[in-house]
Amino acid sequence: MSDEAHVLDLLPAYAIGGLDANEARLVEEHLLSCWICRAELASFQDVVGQLSLAVPAAVPPADLKDRLLQRVQTARSPQPISVPHSERSWLERLLPVWGLASFALIILLGVFNLSLWQRLNHLEFFTAPGGMRAVPLSSPEAAPGASGFVLISADGDEGALVVDGLPPLGESQQYQVWLLRDGQRTSGAVFSTDENSYGGTRIKVSGSLLEYSGVSITVEPFGGSSQPTGTNVLGGLLFNP
Amino acid sequence: MKSSTEYAHYDDEKLISLIVQMQEGALTQLYERYSRVIFSLALAIVNDQATAEEVTLDVFLRVWQKAASYRAEQAKVSTWLTHIARHHAIDVLRRRAARPDQYAVNLDDTTFNGEFSEQDPQEFAELSMMRERVHAALAKLPKDQKQTLVLAYFGGYTQHQIAEKLKQPIGTVKTRLRLALQKLREFLREEQEIEDKSVEAASAYNITKEER
Repeated sequence: MSDEAHVLDLLPAYAIGGLDANEARLVEEHLLSCWICRAELASFQDVVGQLSLAVPAAVPPADLKDRLLQRVQTARSPQPISVPHSERSWLERLLPVWGLASFALIILLGVFNLSLWQRLNHLEFFTAPGGMRAVPLSSPEAAPGASGFVLISADGDEGALVVDGLPPLGESQQYQVWLLRDGQRTSGAVFSTDENSYGGTRIKVSGSLLEYSGVSITVEPFGGSSQPTGTNVLGGLLFNP
Repeated sequence: MKSSTEYAHYDDEKLISLIVQMQEGALTQLYERYSRVIFSLALAIVNDQATAEEVTLDVFLRVWQKAASYRAEQAKVSTWLTHIARHHAIDVLRRRAARPDQYAVNLDDTTFNGEFSEQDPQEFAELSMMRERVHAALAKLPKDQKQTLVLAYFGGYTQHQIAEKLKQPIGTVKTRLRLALQKLREFLREEQEIEDKSVEAASAYNITKEER
């Protein structure tokens, strides 16, 4: 692959968050399939990370640690129902879009039970009994801490997306799912997230999802766009092209 | 239950995996290691003590809740933490529409504002060396490249926004930012190599001395 085919010149600015949405999306789509640029990006991200050491050193107040532990206690205090809130939200959103008719999904829920979200986040790529796949998504520069995954049925005809850590957008915007194939992007769904930054949707495209190599999620005007115009907030490699 | 001494022996990635298992001791240890860096960064960006404290709390609370989303293959834990802190602090400024045009952050300032009695002396020494390395690398950058870097890093401005602010052609800003980061990477590598050679020379000297 020639240097022109890579995005090497854009990587320093991408690492520091200096690219506009269009350029950033170009980089992110290229990164999905290029380990050379991913390695190069990691070295620039390391440099950007070290810049935090350039600021005058200060010490937080002594009681800040106690305040943190108090908040942790509040965050982990028991919920009225035994299923943690985050996973209830996950299930509430996932089940209507997929439906309990999917036997594979029932198996998946049974396998993972209560720690579903955390375990799925640890997966590189997971194929459930019956052939259903769970593909984790990662967040680029624009949305640190966001996560999600795509569930794809064994035949590739059904797909669902669940995300966490994507803040709700204003009334004029929604998130849009894009499927990548041969450099072309096809809209798979438009969705919103709730006040807890959770969201989910069924993914519908023409043909089988198994034909697509990657997925990305961008911020778009309400109702979606014909082609991506906004910031890329999550992405992942579905299958090796 | 593990003691705090046990957690102190774990590396960062191990601590993250224990935080996923909801072990508060692991979070406390991570806080001990990185709260100063996170707080210093937040304070430099938001320029307000109370807000910097809130940002620091939010960063570690987020780690507690989202540790499972950490991907070791993408970034070191320290890079991940500073990345979250920087974005969160800039978001706070954006929400308040309070991003200044000029940053008072002086990257050449190596003063230390506070006590460090709780910090492990070895960790403190390592952090000091890393700080010196970053300052030495930054000192080699031309002024215009450093200015662009500061606006992008502390202000969260894109290259186009920087070009508008500085009234410079976009191509000039792109070149400055790219060169700044490429040079920094090179300078940091050089500084690291010099440091590694010094350590090697010192240990070789000690071995020779012991053999005599």
